[in-house]
Amino acid sequence: MMILNALKKFFGLNAEKSEAETSSLRRSFQDHYRSFRSLLTANNIALELMAEMEETFGAGQSFSMAFVRGHCTALTVNIYKMVQHLHELSNGKYGGLTGAFNSISVSIEEILARQPKIAGGKFVLPLAEVDIHSTEQAGGKMANLGEIRNRVGLKVPDGFVITAAATKHFIDSNNLQDEINRRLKLLDHSDLEELYTTSASIQQLITNAPLPEDLERLIIDQYEELARRSNSRVLVSMRSSALGEDSSNISFAGQYRTQLNVTDDMLGLTYKEIVASKYKSQAIVYRMQRGFRHQDVIMCVGCLAMVDGVVSGVMYSRSPRDPRSDWIVINAAPGLASQVVDGRAVTDMFRVSRNSPHEVLARELRVQKTASLSDRQAAELAGIAVRLEEHFGLPQDIEWSIDSTGRIIILQSRPLAQAAPVEESGMESIEVDETQPYLLGGGVSASAGVACGPVHIVRSNIDLLQFPEGAVLVVAHPLPEWATILNRAVAVVSETGHVTAHLATVSREFGIPAIFGIAHATEKLKNAEMITVDALGRRIYEGRRDDLLKNAPPPSNLMAGSPVYKLLEEVLRLITPLNLTNPASPYFMPSSCETFHDLTRFCHEKAVTEMFSFSSRYGFDEKGAKQLVGDIPLQWWVINLEDGFREGLDMKDKWVRIDDIVSLPMLAIWEGMTAVPWKGPPPVNLKGFGSVLFQSTMNPSLDPAVRSSMASKSYFLISRNFCNLSVRLGYHFSLAEAHLSDLLTENYVSFQFKGGAADENRRFIRVNLISEILEKYDFRVEQKADALTARIEKKPAPFLIERLKVLGYLLIHTRQIDMVMEEQDMVDNYRKSILADLEKIVKPEKENMP
Amino acid sequence: MSDRFNILLVDDEKDFLEITTKRLMRRGYNVRNATTCSEALLIIEGDWPEVIVLDVMLPDRDGIECLKEIKRKRPSSIVILLTGHASMQAGRQSMEYGANDYCLKPIELDELIEKIEIAYREKAKTRDISD
Repeated sequence: MMILNALKKFFGLNAEKSEAETSSLRRSFQDHYRSFRSLLTANNIALELMAEMEETFGAGQSFSMAFVRGHCTALTVNIYKMVQHLHELSNGKYGGLTGAFNSISVSIEEILARQPKIAGGKFVLPLAEVDIHSTEQAGGKMANLGEIRNRVGLKVPDGFVITAAATKHFIDSNNLQDEINRRLKLLDHSDLEELYTTSASIQQLITNAPLPEDLERLIIDQYEELARRSNSRVLVSMRSSALGEDSSNISFAGQYRTQLNVTDDMLGLTYKEIVASKYKSQAIVYRMQRGFRHQDVIMCVGCLAMVDGVVSGVMYSRSPRDPRSDWIVINAAPGLASQVVDGRAVTDMFRVSRNSPHEVLARELRVQKTASLSDRQAAELAGIAVRLEEHFGLPQDIEWSIDSTGRIIILQSRPLAQAAPVEESGMESIEVDETQPYLLGGGVSASAGVACGPVHIVRSNIDLLQFPEGAVLVVAHPLPEWATILNRAVAVVSETGHVTAHLATVSREFGIPAIFGIAHATEKLKNAEMITVDALGRRIYEGRRDDLLKNAPPPSNLMAGSPVYKLLEEVLRLITPLNLTNPASPYFMPSSCETFHDLTRFCHEKAVTEMFSFSSRYGFDEKGAKQLVGDIPLQWWVINLEDGFREGLDMKDKWVRIDDIVSLPMLAIWEGMTAVPWKGPPPVNLKGFGSVLFQSTMNPSLDPAVRSSMASKSYFLISRNFCNLSVRLGYHFSLAEAHLSDLLTENYVSFQFKGGAADENRRFIRVNLISEILEKYDFRVEQKADALTARIEKKPAPFLIERLKVLGYLLIHTRQIDMVMEEQDMVDNYRKSILADLEKIVKPEKENMP
Repeated sequence: MSDRFNILLVDDEKDFLEITTKRLMRRGYNVRNATTCSEALLIIEGDWPEVIVLDVMLPDRDGIECLKEIKRKRPSSIVILLTGHASMQAGRQSMEYGANDYCLKPIELDELIEKIEIAYREKAKTRDISD
């Protein structure tokens, strides 16, 4: 080579200079192409991430902070790459991009890093100083109890609250938070065994940490005060009162620990155990399902003198199934209230009128022959329920006890978790087709709905670990800890329990049908047996019953309004809106980029333009546009980016034939374009034609004289695996792009379609039709007025090739049909003929999916 | 797929290291591993790995510091950061210090292989041109 060069130099051949120049240009072009390819891959990943975020946000499925943080991080990385690659491609022409990128990223980082505020510095507060305004210090439950004592004037147990500031002090002085966060971040929520291990290890970490001395002193002092007021060394109950429990549709029922009969020497340890119970497995799952960040929930602990309950229970100020009901539901059993809420105790049920004098409308005695409550007591309780609902402005779920002196003491009141009122009437009036054979029936409808799945009987935690996704949970008692798997169960069946059990509350919140009190369910149902549970009808049927399932209400969005949901909403505002839609606009520039989507749009557009204009900028004919010749419809130009032409083609030619093309995606589009000959423009009615003329005068961008050089012709930019096709046919503009390779991460097909000659309405109808067809062929379609974008990512090349044929076909055959898109039967005709053609062109799924 | 190049896995999580090494080798890659940054730097001196998959939290050094050190010693190294801690800031910083990618655990093996292949291909093309 050196000798050859020397010889050339010797003979003074000036061809030598141009050859060096050519090879340098070739190298430079290769560099550009490499950056371009990398930019497209990053673009593909970024767009997929954004689509996943939007879909998750819209679909009402549960998602965690880890999901939000993970997606934001992956997006940042890929958009960073796009910006870098565009800098390489354009020799730093768009300097403002880095600034725009940094400012958007930092704004998102700030939202993600936000910490909850902790109000007030006091570590302990006597209940006498607590009311609804103390929620941020004392947690929702204790703030409510203080409110009931101090503002409503009802009797509650005496006691005090260990505040959020105290818990923060405890956690901080032992440096626990970072370690807890580390363990949680590594947790795979779908692995139950891991969930239990992590939950146990975090709880142990907390209970093993020493209590700061100042805090311990304050707790003891408060206890001494309480003992002095009670004139005895009282036993206390210690209850969680977490911040974040105040939301009306969110109960946190039974998630955390409550400890009864605590003696003064156990105060410190029990406090730590309750703080640690924030990380119980069911609490971790619950927060995840309902969209709470772990850091947003801060434990406060109430310390209350024990009540010697003679009879206790739970009451609802209205039916949980119907907020308009005019009766109160009271469940009562002899002894302490905790037995009623944890679902174990057999209870008497009373239905009491909301109107004074609160007549008992119905009673179901299940404990003994005599009622556990007298009518007078039931009426008095009902009066309290109405008072509390009026005070708090929402239906209430109230825990109460009646002590040995006959006084009613309120232990807790919180907003009642409501199931969607699916039926006008209460449960008794539900019609059940009695002629239908069923496996089991009876009990109470703890949460309405119909669901179908295989039986999975759970007797211990080991059975829980094997719980399959989508099974029916069948248990002897509705214990609160079963809530850990409510996110994978489709229904709950329990032999005991009532609507007031915590598990019932959580089932209603999650929208999972539940029947409690079906005797012998764990014996009569067999594991893996398929059943349909009709909770409202209180029947269990054999097999799958589509006739019942079709009446089931759609699942509600558990996340809506939750902190994580709001956070994602806020973050998405900086990610998905697209402001840069028109590349011809003077505002199409880096400083106009307000979102990540804008950045991807800008980078992609400019990258294509850079590749397109390379040859003209550097006078590099080899990479210039060649016109496609042969027996082909319309006019097309082709720019070879890399290996899109067959080997041996003379690069100096100004023409190229379709046989010279080896670009897989271009050939696929071409196949779709030419598979069915175009029948020519549709017969236009005068109105449609008139609308075209009108549009031409109104819309300057339709005037051929003002088109930019790139938009004025139809171009293929190709390599063996890549194709970018921009089409200007008549009055509409479209863009198809694809990359096909053996790596799924790089694979995609995208399509943009805009404009048309007819009036807005006709264009809109046409875009609708195209949308519909693309969706049928697995595209994810977004439509704004008469503009449409469609994408498919990360599918195998053979699958994408068939989709490219669809695009090719549509590009040719939907031209000008906007003119006739007025009569519905016309639209139907086009749809029918397009779908029939496509059926012939596109290979069916089985052949092209691996 | 490209020719089977050399991969160095750096992670202090022994289980992950063992399983991933075994699986990548089964797919035909040459794999070695290290549990600390200093160990990794020694292997890099031997000019052996083409792609380095690096955990962000290492016992002896912060992964991003380790990345800087690797890039200082051998600027042509292809480094993919892999982490269980999603952090936008760490992601951005890693890219600024020359990482080729920043991925999140848990990651499917096929996805990891694609990330490695893509990073390798992107880099390999540069080498063709400059050699």
